Amino acid sequence: MELIHAVRGFVTSLLFLLLWSKCEGRESELNYVTCGSLVKLLNTRHNVRLHSHDVKYGSGSGQQSVTGVENADDANSYWQIRGRPNRPCQRGAAIKCGQAIRITHMKTGRNLHTHHFSSPLSNNQEVSAFGENGEGDDLDLWTVQCEGVHWERDEAVRFKHVGTDVFLSVTGEQYGHPIRGQREVHGMSSSNQHNWWRTMEGVFIQPSQELIRHDEL
Amino acid sequence: MNLRNVCCLLLCVITAVLAGRDFYKILGVSKSASVRDIKKAYRKLALQLHPDRNPDDPKAQDKFADLGAAYEVLSDEEKRKQYDAYGEDGLKEGHHSSHNDIFSSFFGDFGFMFGGNRQQQDRNIPRGNDIILDLEVTLEEVYSGNFVEVVRNKPVAKEAPGKRKCNCRQEMRTTQLGPGRFQMTQETVCDECPNVKLVNEERTLEVEIEQGVRDEMEYPFIGEGEPHIDGEPGDLRFRIKVLKHPVFERRGDDLYTNVTISLVEALVGFEMDIIHLDGHKVHIVRDKITKPGARMWKKGEGLPNFDNINIRGSLIITFDVEFPQTQLDEQQKDGIRSLLKQGSVQKVYNGLQGY
Repeated sequence: MELIHAVRGFVTSLLFLLLWSKCEGRESELNYVTCGSLVKLLNTRHNVRLHSHDVKYGSGSGQQSVTGVENADDANSYWQIRGRPNRPCQRGAAIKCGQAIRITHMKTGRNLHTHHFSSPLSNNQEVSAFGENGEGDDLDLWTVQCEGVHWERDEAVRFKHVGTDVFLSVTGEQYGHPIRGQREVHGMSSSNQHNWWRTMEGVFIQPSQELIRHDEL
Repeated sequence: MNLRNVCCLLLCVITAVLAGRDFYKILGVSKSASVRDIKKAYRKLALQLHPDRNPDDPKAQDKFADLGAAYEVLSDEEKRKQYDAYGEDGLKEGHHSSHNDIFSSFFGDFGFMFGGNRQQQDRNIPRGNDIILDLEVTLEEVYSGNFVEVVRNKPVAKEAPGKRKCNCRQEMRTTQLGPGRFQMTQETVCDECPNVKLVNEERTLEVEIEQGVRDEMEYPFIGEGEPHIDGEPGDLRFRIKVLKHPVFERRGDDLYTNVTISLVEALVGFEMDIIHLDGHKVHIVRDKITKPGARMWKKGEGLPNFDNINIRGSLIITFDVEFPQTQLDEQQKDGIRSLLKQGSVQKVYNGLQGY
């Protein structure tokens, strides 16, 4: 009996130590997703990265398509995290859970966007890339849903659309030619295992030190 | 005998003092320099002193190594404290980061290819995609300069067991079907290469926002872009986007600002301070009448010029006048008429066509 208690105590304290040390590591700013960062977003259920390119949908809105791709070395999978229009977020500031952001496709300058059109393969809500030079309209906003205070880099989060309330999702349907093998990315109204995303490769901007120095003593 | 001993002792002391390198002197900064000043000095000198840039200098390698050592110590708070107290010899035998690591955090993995552009002979080697990041900077940063630390997590090609197909191409093959009968078919032919897998690696990069930097200017980090399995990685380029400022407007190296003064101040004069981008005050004194739309030029109070930061533009201040909000009663009106002694003007003209 004594032995079991002792072992139990040991295991609990070991687990506690592990958890505590893990928490320590997460406190540094290096682990947050910050304003202005360039990221690749991986759908954790289907292992594909959010992607866009100069290919338009053949149905629905006819806007630029957004898909999920398997390979990890395509620059067309980079998206920049930006603040709301007219309320830019401070460069390097960690994104808070619940904050509304724009997700701008690096190569084409179009924003992740969704609207009341049907997606071509699964009849969910079509997700497109819309706008010019990072400026689109008010259907470009997504709130980051996560646990805790700030969006952490290795955390799985959900993206809920501001306006239509759908979640950015992938359910596995694949396109044919000319984008063979790429998965459909769409908006779904329910939150489930298909709408978890996490950041992978990217350029994560750290906050800079305050600049104003007061020369008078 | 005694004299000789004293001389020897003196020599020993002198060599002991001179044995450690003067890191502050190597970087050309003062003892009270901030980390930002140190980074700035390192980046500037690294470009000048790199051995590839100085092939004729036999001491180039040593000078460059000294620069790396100086930066490694002075940019680290702990090491700098030890160095300030005990000199170079007083530094603990810790892990010394290679100078290559330091250099590439400022310029990228292949940063020694000077000029920013790849050499022409690389045209046959396939390159990965380039990444362009729009970096928003404030006017304060354009004025004083700044460093932005960035964590780059990128896929890197690593050796893996086995082989893979590479350099696949279409070739025409001729097969003989019978005597005098041939068939030409198109075939995909591949070479065999060592197998490669992509592994994510992370490192910190330092982007400098140089003083006077202009909109759309780019800072490349060679080799920090996307990898190419059969070739070289592309580059990461930071493109500067200067944000609008609530107080100052930039035109080249000049800064424009507006000040609203009261009617009283416009008529009798005033004294004020404008707080500049780095916090210093620009003092303005006016003892004459200031007309609405009047401009004041303050030389040297603009932005530093990117190519020569010793040259500065001007600050141009445009004044507008705020009239009193409350209406005047008859007594005040009479008072004003007698004070100002300005007759009625009432000139009618076409102001939109310059008459």
